[in-house]
Amino acid sequence: MRLYDIVVLLTPELSEDEAGKVIGDYRKILTDGGAEMVHDETWGKRKLAYPIGRKRDAYYHHFQVQAEPAVISETERRLKLSDQVLRHLAVRADDELKRAAKMTERLKRKAARRPPRPAPVPGQVPAQAGPAETSSPERSE
Amino acid sequence: MAAMPQRGGSREREGKPTGRKKFFVRRRKVCKFCAEKLEYVDWKDVKLLQSFIPERGKILPRRISGTCALHQRKLQTAIKRARSIALLPYVTD
Repeated sequence: MRLYDIVVLLTPELSEDEAGKVIGDYRKILTDGGAEMVHDETWGKRKLAYPIGRKRDAYYHHFQVQAEPAVISETERRLKLSDQVLRHLAVRADDELKRAAKMTERLKRKAARRPPRPAPVPGQVPAQAGPAETSSPERSE
Repeated sequence: MAAMPQRGGSREREGKPTGRKKFFVRRRKVCKFCAEKLEYVDWKDVKLLQSFIPERGKILPRRISGTCALHQRKLQTAIKRARSIALLPYVTD
């Protein structure tokens, strides 16, 4: 099982209810294939950043599912066949999220490793800044 | 005579950095993603990505935004994905 992000764009010619129905069909394809819905959100009718097939807006829907690769390829095949789907994007998300989690953990560990720093710093900074400041006017003279 | 060129040379060396100090007060650029500890660059977050897209629709270069190499790479793929589903423009005139 892998985590996927799927975004589907539907034609603006459909009514809100029809769009919901079409989305429902794809939801059914996904869940019938054994996919687990993690996130299921309609963004509604949005303006497109550029026209696609003479259309200036589209219904956006976002699925985040936990599924086997075969299920995703099947839904993608169906999305490609449909005329109502202007465009879609299915991207695997788990590896990137895992890497991100690892990085944040590493940052945390790094931060935890050097907590005794702030104490000596205030004493050192003015001592260093003092001579540096006095030396620069000398140079300009 | 030998002392003259030496003086001139030392003046140049000393003069340049002070001159720069006068003209540029450069703010240090910090990677936005490192600063806010956003490790995952979400390609669905249009608001975030839009801040890295100037008027022309191009991706803001690292030298201007100050984003670190790792996050610029991630940002790049995120922007390209967002473009493919018309969340962001490829070009704007």
